[in-house]
Amino acid sequence: MKITDLFRGSDGVDVKGPGVLCSFDIGGVTINLTETVVLSWVIILAVTLLLAWLTKDMKTRNISKRQAVAEWAVQTVYGLVEDSMGKRWRPIAPYIGALFTFSILGSLISMLGLRSVTADFNVPLAWALVTFVMIHSTNIRTNGLGGYLKGYVDPIPVMLPFNILSEIATPVSMSLRHFGNVVSGMVITSLLYYALSMITKGIGVALCTIGIPAVMSLYFDLFSGFMQAFIFIMLTMAYISNVDGNAEV
Amino acid sequence: MNLDFLTIDVGTILFTLINTLLIFLAFKHFLFGRVDAILEKRRQELTDTYAAAEDARSAASADQEKYAKAIAGAKAEADEIVRRAEKTAQSKGDAILETARAEAHAAREKAQLETERERLRARSELQGEISGLAVELAGKILEKEIDPSDHERLIADFLSNAEHAGDEA
Repeated sequence: MKITDLFRGSDGVDVKGPGVLCSFDIGGVTINLTETVVLSWVIILAVTLLLAWLTKDMKTRNISKRQAVAEWAVQTVYGLVEDSMGKRWRPIAPYIGALFTFSILGSLISMLGLRSVTADFNVPLAWALVTFVMIHSTNIRTNGLGGYLKGYVDPIPVMLPFNILSEIATPVSMSLRHFGNVVSGMVITSLLYYALSMITKGIGVALCTIGIPAVMSLYFDLFSGFMQAFIFIMLTMAYISNVDGNAEV
Repeated sequence: MNLDFLTIDVGTILFTLINTLLIFLAFKHFLFGRVDAILEKRRQELTDTYAAAEDARSAASADQEKYAKAIAGAKAEADEIVRRAEKTAQSKGDAILETARAEAHAAREKAQLETERERLRARSELQGEISGLAVELAGKILEKEIDPSDHERLIADFLSNAEHAGDEA
């Protein structure tokens, strides 16, 4: 790509799904190794290295700035979990922190010019499925299997299909909300770049392709990515503590 | 090759589940596990420090009590020593006073004795002198024609001499 191409911008709008790097067959099921998965590995590796560096050589006194950041992060997540779910849910904090980080970095990776991990519907869907399993296992643990099943015919047996639908709607709405926000940001950004390129071509000066995309990116990537990650973990915690009869809050 | 824009891909879901587990384990091990451990260690150190401070305080308090007791004992001992010293001094002073009094008494006796002896000696001297004067007078009377007036004068002189000697003695 030449520098002039960079200033000219994109020549068309082309929104595609994640690229498939290779695919193999296991027992009749096609497993695709996609762009999404590889970028996830990059994120995981980076996060692991960052965390290992942050928590290296920790001391009880005269702590370094790295350690202060690590302690602040842990205390913040613990505080968030305790506030929304109660003290006994503290063990879930690492999962909440990991999910938040994975989600926010998965969205922000688009700022490096890569495809957002969260712009692949399967990613938020997998997370929503984890939340779904947590909700129902907590429900069974709280009410017993009988009480849990009885909940589906509450208040009258006719409600059974609607109750099942409402339970299924939870992960679907969670994953679609996350996916939809990120992907719409991606589409709008692409359209905007295309429109700005057209203006640039029209007036012959790369005025609009400099600066405006950065401001747009600030909202659609940074703010939206943060908001969706936050909403996702808050909903996860809210749904779980909702069915947890022993929650302190 | 790209997947469709909105598609459910089992492979990606499975990989994402595994990836989520991996990042969860990274968080649990590298962040929460380590920070929890260090927080617990700090809490433990704080507890230990408090316990040590409490121990030191109680030890100091025990020491203070001990010293107070020791000082009280020392004071009693000092009182006893002073009392004993006073007693000793009193008896010693008494003895010295007694000795001094006895010595003074002896000195006075001696002085009295001396005076008496002196007096006796003076008297005997005077007596000797008077005898001498008498003899002298007698000699003078005898060697002179004594008129009554001279006679009388001699006697008066003699008497005055004698009186004078007596006064001196």
